[in-house]
Amino acid sequence: MPDVLIADDSEFMRNLLREILEEDHTIVGEVENGVEAVEVYKEETPDLVMMDIVMPIRDGIEATSEIKSSNPEANVIMCTSVGQEEKMKEAVKAGADGYITKPFQKPSVMEAIQDVVPS
Amino acid sequence: MNVDIQSLGTFNQLAHEGAQQATQSLAQMTGIDAAVDVTKITLLDRTDVGEALEGREFVGVQFEYEGVLEGDTVLVFEDESAETIADSMMPGASENPEMAQSAVKEIGNIMMSGFIDGWADYLDSTIDHSPPTYIEKSGSEVLPDAPDAGDHRQVFVFKSEIEWVGKSVNFYIYMLPEYEPLADAMVESADTDDDAIPIDKLQTFNEMTTSGTQQAADNVEMMTGIPTAAEVTQISFAPIEDVPKQIGTDTYVGTVVEFTGRPSGYLMVLFDEVSAVNVAEAMMPIGMDEDELTDQHKAAIEELGNIMTSGFVDGWANVLQTSVDHTPPRLVHDMGRSIVDPLAAQVGQQQEHAFIIDSTMRTDDIEFAAEIHALPNEQELRAALDDLDVERADQTEASVEQIFE
Repeated sequence: MPDVLIADDSEFMRNLLREILEEDHTIVGEVENGVEAVEVYKEETPDLVMMDIVMPIRDGIEATSEIKSSNPEANVIMCTSVGQEEKMKEAVKAGADGYITKPFQKPSVMEAIQDVVPS
Repeated sequence: MNVDIQSLGTFNQLAHEGAQQATQSLAQMTGIDAAVDVTKITLLDRTDVGEALEGREFVGVQFEYEGVLEGDTVLVFEDESAETIADSMMPGASENPEMAQSAVKEIGNIMMSGFIDGWADYLDSTIDHSPPTYIEKSGSEVLPDAPDAGDHRQVFVFKSEIEWVGKSVNFYIYMLPEYEPLADAMVESADTDDDAIPIDKLQTFNEMTTSGTQQAADNVEMMTGIPTAAEVTQISFAPIEDVPKQIGTDTYVGTVVEFTGRPSGYLMVLFDEVSAVNVAEAMMPIGMDEDELTDQHKAAIEELGNIMTSGFVDGWANVLQTSVDHTPPRLVHDMGRSIVDPLAAQVGQQQEHAFIIDSTMRTDDIEFAAEIHALPNEQELRAALDDLDVERADQTEASVEQIFE
């Protein structure tokens, strides 16, 4: 099963993502800001990071950029409420591989993961 | 057509002073101690005028006026206060319905004459008004039809709320001017183009915000399964000190974020306590069936506020081809005015008046209502309106597929 790191400052959303993913994925960590996301990524090197954008301390785009700098093969899907075109372009520039806007349902999450990490 | 901030401020002040004059007349004639609570100018869809009056019965008086400004104005009381007013003017008047009506008509006539005269004096012209017509109706039916706005979809409404000190009774003055004479008067009053607001673009921005409210309502529906519809979206202009009064004294649960970019400012997503519990319960995978807010409810509300905020502002960013960032949501649970006070104080460091963008959404399925209030920086809103390409106004949604293909 692919290893997944969940980065979201909302406990509610981390729980929701865990419930969606845990059947087919191994959750290696749940973090609530971009700094922790980079740290845990480097420790665990998961197959996939589900990354929120708006987080305290360091946002998800900066964290994605740092993860991709350290490992260009890393897989990051932005999982965010932000639906702005300019922000999506920033995410692409930072190296994001996919983008899901909240609110989402399980099929759209699984489809986005399948596009980035084919089983 | 451009209208400068100063003339919007002046017209607001004029309406406020007119309402104060009317309130003094009320006090002199009845001994009722009342104070003007809020006066604001609102730009809204003509079908939404008077939405705040729904669910209550009113009596009052209506006038038509013409001259340098044209339109209708009404003064309405909640009907339970009408008897007190009549008896204050003439003891025992309320026992005779005709006498009670006559008393209400007379006090309305005196109050509103002062209100209209102030406008005429300021505009250095005359405004004639018709004799008062007595009205007794429910909710927004008490208001006359919104004025003809010509080609414009939205209308300006001046609204003053007068509070009967120590009682939970309010009076309302609505002035509904026809669009063109009002816009002409505003342009005539403008001193400078430096801080001009393009009125047509303000209307377009209001429509974009309606679309953002619908997106936020759709997000609520998707997360909770509760069918939710956007109701009213309006832009109001009021002195900074009046901003907190508009949210009222009820207790709310919700989120506050600061948004940065163009425009910047603050945005609140607020639920009354019952709605907060209902909507949070609907978001839980397993029903908790609690009547009071738990930490889990609050976490759910925080995330819903976050998603609703994005739904609301993303459309602005996409149409303006810019990005609007916002801070993580901060959960609030307090009296409405206490939530808004510090935000208005922050915004008030740079400006004396504020634009307030208000939206509401509702559902009939359960007791649920939500409000979104945005308090943008005035200069940045003006800059954003300058940059607004009206032709792009419907392009509020970005395509993930196109960008990530």
